[in-house]
Amino acid sequence: MRGKHVLIVGGGVAGLSAAIELADLDIRVELNEKSNFLGGHAIGYACKAIDNTCVKCGACMVEEKLQRAVSHPNINISVGSQTQGISKNGRFSASVRRQALCIDPEKCTNCGLCSNRCPVNGAIIKSFSKNNHPFYAINIAKCLYFKDRSCSICCDECPEAAIDLDNSPSEYTIEADAVLIAAGFLPFNPRNKPYGYGRFKNVVTALELENMLKRTGRVKKPSDDLLPQNVAFIQCVGSRDAKLNHLWCSKVCCGSALRMARLIKDRQPETEVTFFYIDVQTFGKDFEQFYREAREDIRMIRAIPADIYETENKALKVNFVNHPLHQTREEIFDLVVLSVGITPGEDIGNLSRIFKLDTDQFGFLKSAGEDATVSSNGVFTAGAVRGPMSIAESIASAGSAAWKIVKYMGGRDLKFD
Amino acid sequence: MIKFLGDSLNHQTLILGNGPCAVAAAESLLAAGENIIIATKDDTCNLNGSVDSASLQILRQMRCLSCKGSVGNFKIHGIQKNKPVAIDAGCIIIAEEDQRTPNFSLYGLNASSNVKTLSEMKTLLSSPSNEKNILSEIKKVIFLTGLVKESTPIIAKEVMLSSLLLQKDFGLQTYILTKNLKVAGDGLESLYRDTKNAGTIYTKFTDDVPDIHQGEEDNIRIDFYDEITSKNFRLTPDMTVVDETVVPSRYAADLVKIFNIEKDVGGFVQADNVHRYPVLTNRKGILVAGPSKSVMDVDTQRIDAGNAALAVKGLSAEKTNAKAEKAYVHEERCIRCLTCYRLCPYDAITLNTRVAVVPDACERCGICAAHCPMYAVRMADLEPEVISELMGTGGGIDRQQSFVPFIVAFCCRRSAAQARDLAVCMGYHLPQGLKMVEVPCSGGLSYDHIFKALENNADGVMVLTCHKGNCHSEQGNIYADQTVAQIRDMFSRIGFEKERLLIQTLASNMGTEFARIAGGFEETIATLGPSKLRKNCKKPITKARKDESAK
Ligand SMILES: Cc1cc2nc3c(=O)[nH]c(=O)nc-3n(C[C@H](O)[C@H](O)[C@H](O)COP(=O)(O)OP(=O)(O)OC[C@H]3O[C@@H](n4cnc5c(N)ncnc54)[C@H](O)[C@@H]3O)c2cc1C
Repeated sequence: MRGKHVLIVGGGVAGLSAAIELADLDIRVELNEKSNFLGGHAIGYACKAIDNTCVKCGACMVEEKLQRAVSHPNINISVGSQTQGISKNGRFSASVRRQALCIDPEKCTNCGLCSNRCPVNGAIIKSFSKNNHPFYAINIAKCLYFKDRSCSICCDECPEAAIDLDNSPSEYTIEADAVLIAAGFLPFNPRNKPYGYGRFKNVVTALELENMLKRTGRVKKPSDDLLPQNVAFIQCVGSRDAKLNHLWCSKVCCGSALRMARLIKDRQPETEVTFFYIDVQTFGKDFEQFYREAREDIRMIRAIPADIYETENKALKVNFVNHPLHQTREEIFDLVVLSVGITPGEDIGNLSRIFKLDTDQFGFLKSAGEDATVSSNGVFTAGAVRGPMSIAESIASAGSAAWKIVKYMGGRDLKFD
Repeated sequence: MIKFLGDSLNHQTLILGNGPCAVAAAESLLAAGENIIIATKDDTCNLNGSVDSASLQILRQMRCLSCKGSVGNFKIHGIQKNKPVAIDAGCIIIAEEDQRTPNFSLYGLNASSNVKTLSEMKTLLSSPSNEKNILSEIKKVIFLTGLVKESTPIIAKEVMLSSLLLQKDFGLQTYILTKNLKVAGDGLESLYRDTKNAGTIYTKFTDDVPDIHQGEEDNIRIDFYDEITSKNFRLTPDMTVVDETVVPSRYAADLVKIFNIEKDVGGFVQADNVHRYPVLTNRKGILVAGPSKSVMDVDTQRIDAGNAALAVKGLSAEKTNAKAEKAYVHEERCIRCLTCYRLCPYDAITLNTRVAVVPDACERCGICAAHCPMYAVRMADLEPEVISELMGTGGGIDRQQSFVPFIVAFCCRRSAAQARDLAVCMGYHLPQGLKMVEVPCSGGLSYDHIFKALENNADGVMVLTCHKGNCHSEQGNIYADQTVAQIRDMFSRIGFEKERLLIQTLASNMGTEFARIAGGFEETIATLGPSKLRKNCKKPITKARKDESAK
C-alpha cells in the first residue's frame, strides 16, 4: 500500500505493534510519542522467569516490538511529540508540537557521562531499553539550565558535544490517511488511599517494583537498600472500587503481582511474601499449575487491608480483618507493594476532543460494539487506551486495529507492489 | 528488484471453522479481495451465502485428513460427505470452535432434572416462554462454579447473566458458590454488582469446599461453613447448575497432528509461547484464531479474526528472504537419516525425491545443521569457520601480566545478545576478554562450535539461551542444553574442567542479569586459570597457584 500514511499517537506496545504491522504492508507510519522514550509502561517491566522457565508475562515482547519498530524503514518516530489539533479534508492534517530534544541521537554514544555528572537527581533520565537511542534524556522539568541557566555541566562535559540545551520546541504538520490512538493508560495513583503511599518510603507500587526488578534484578527496601524480610502485596488498589466508581477489574495485576511474588521467592527465598486479595484472576494457559505452586510458597490472605502505619524503624503496620475470626489483625511488613490498577489515560480528555471520540462510562476510549464495524471517520484505537488489557491483548488489539485501518484505506483493492 | 512471498503464493486461503471467528475472518478477507474456501464440520455454514461467490467456496461436512506442502502451496486432503476432496491453499486459518465438558463429577453430582449444566440453563433461559414454565415452579437456584478447578471470566459471565435473569425476570433466589470470582473481563465487575443488587447471594470459599450431597429423588443438599458470617449453612436448592470446563474440540486435536503444529498443555492449538502472539503457529502460513487457541469471548474472537486476516495479507507483502541465508542440503552427503526432518520445528524439510529445505518455511534456527551427522545440512552463517572468524583467537598469555580470561559467549540473537547490548547501555562493565558470538538460535550450536572456541584459545565458553518455553524454535534451547551437558560430561571424563563450559538462560530485557552471569563466569575462569588447551600458554598459572606462591 504505497503512498498511504498513518499517524499513530502513542509509542507503547500497542502503538509499536500496530506500526510494525502497517509498515510491513509498505504503509508509511508516523509514530508520535509524548514522552522521551518509546515502549510505554511495559518497557519497564522485568522478565519474571523462574527456574529458567518463561512465565509468559510478555515483557520481552515489548522489547522485541521496540527493536523492530526503531529499525523499520517505513516508520518515522518522533519522541517528545504531541498532536495539538487535527483537521480533516479527505486526509488528516495534524499539527504536532515537539518538545526540545537536547541530546543529538546522531552524536550520542550512550556513554552515560552526562548522567554521572548531573548534580540534580532525576534531571537526566535513563531509558529501560537499549533500543531507545539515546538511552538518556534531559528532564526539562528538573534540569537547572531550564530553570535558571545555572548549570550546563552535561553539555560542557559531553565528549561528543551531543548535548545542546538551547534547543527549542518545534511545530510541524503531518498528513495522514488514518489515525490510530494508542495512548495507553494511567496507573492509579494511590496517594489518597490510607496506605501512606508517598509518605512511607517502603510503600511502593507494583509498577515501581517492576522497574526496580528490571533495573537491579533485586527487590530492596527504598528506606535502606536492604533486602526485605517480609513483603506484602495488596491487590485491587484503585480497581473494583465502588467508592471511586472504578467498577472494573484491571485484569493484569493478579498475574503481574503473583509472578513478581514468585520471582522474589525464587531469587530471595528467605523473604516471606504475603498476598492480600479479593479474588485471584485467571491468567496464562497453565494458570492452574502456576497458582497451585504459588500457594505453596506465598501466604494468601483473602482480605484487603484497611490502613497502614509506619513504625519507628520504617517498617509498616498493616491492619486487616482476619476471617473467620472476625478480628482486626495487625501485622508488620518491611515492604508493601500496592497493585495499582489501570485507569483512563491522562490525555483522554484532550484526545477525545481533538479526534472526536466518545469515551465509555468509565472514561476509556472504547465505544460499544465497535469491533463489529469499521470506523467510518478514519480514527481507530488500540491497546490499554480502550480499557484494561495485558501486553498480549494489546498486541492483538493493535493487529486488529491495523487490519481495520488497512480496510478503511484500501477497501477491496489492497495492492502491494 | 525485491521479491515478495506473495508472488509465489497461491492466493487462496482455507478457513476451518463455523463460529464467529471463522466467519469474521472469511468476511474480512473476502472484503479485501482474497479467495476463500471455508470448510465446516457440520452441515451448515454460518457465513452469509449472499457474499460474492466467485471468490468464495463453501465446503460443508468437510474434515481434513492430511496436509502436504508448505506456505504458499499447501495441499490438503480431506473427506466431504464420504467423498475425498483435495484443496490447494496458500494459507490456512484454523478457527474451529471449542467444546465444553460439564463439571458434574468435580462436584460429585449426576445430571438429573434438577441438576443442570450451565449451557442447559442458558438454553432454557433463551427458549420459548412455555418451556420456561418449569422456572415458575421453583424458588431456589444454586450455581456451582470454580470450586474445584479454577474457572474463567467467560464462564463467570454466563453464570452471572443467568443468575441475573432468574433473579429479575423470574423472581427466584439465586446463589453463586465459588472460590475466585473471575471478573477479569469487560463489564464483569459491573455485572457482578448488578447481580448483587438484584439479590443474588454469593458465597466465596478460600480453602474449604462445600459438602454437596445428591440424595434420593435427586434432592440436593449443600452444607458449608461461611467464612464471612462464621456460620454453618445448609442449602436445599430446587435446581443446581454446574459450570463447565472449556476444552478444545476433538477435531482440534486431530488438526494438531494433521498439520504438525504445536499445542499447549490443555490441548489447544498453538504453543504457549510468547513468540506466537497472537495468531501464529510454528508453521509459516498456518494461522490459528479464536477458540481453537484458547478460551475466549466473541469480541476477542473478532480481534483474532482481524489478526489472522492481517497475517494472510502480510504474507503477500513479505519480502522473500535470500535463499542463501537459509539452511540447505548437500545432496551428495545426505544419507536420508531424516534427523533434520524430525528435528525441524518449522516443518521446513521436504522429502520428495530428495531431502531438501523449503526456503520460505525455514526460519534459520540451524537446528538441522547442528544435528546432521553427515554435515549434509548446512547453514552459511553457522559454518564453524565463519563462527571461528567471529570469535577471533585469544591472545597469548604473559607470565608478567595478570591473566585476562578469553571468554566466548554464544548468545541467542533474540535473547542473550539483546541482553548483552542492554548491559552495555546500562553501564555495566563486562569482562574484558568477553567475546560475544551471536547465533540465530542456540539450537544451532554443535560440538564443532564449542570445540572451535577452545581451539581458538577460549578459557571459558558460555552458551546463553532463551528461557524454557520462550524459544522461538520451541526446543532449540533444550537441544543446546543437551549438547552442553554431553560435552561437560565428556570434559569430566577426560580430566578437563567442566566448569569452563556454562549454559544459562536469559531474556532480551535482562541486562543486569547478563552482567551478573558474565562477571560470575569470569571469576570462575580466573580461578581456574588459562585453559590447558590453549596453544600459546607455555606454563599455565592458575590463580590458586599464584595465591599460594604469594603466601
Ligand atoms: C502494575 C502493572 C503491571 C503490569 N504487568 C503486566 C504484565 O506482567 N504482563 C502484561 O501482559 N501486562 C502487564 N500490565 C499491563 C501493561 O502495562 C499494558 O498491557 C500495556 O502497557 C499496554 O500498552 P499500551 O501501548 O496500550 O499503553 P502504554 O504502555 O500506556 O503506552 C502508551 C504510550 O502512549 C504515550 N502517550 C500517551 N498519551 C499520548 C499523547 N497524547 N501523545 C503521544 N503519546 C502519548 C505514552 O507516553 C506511552 O508511551 C501491567 C500493568 C500494570 C499497571
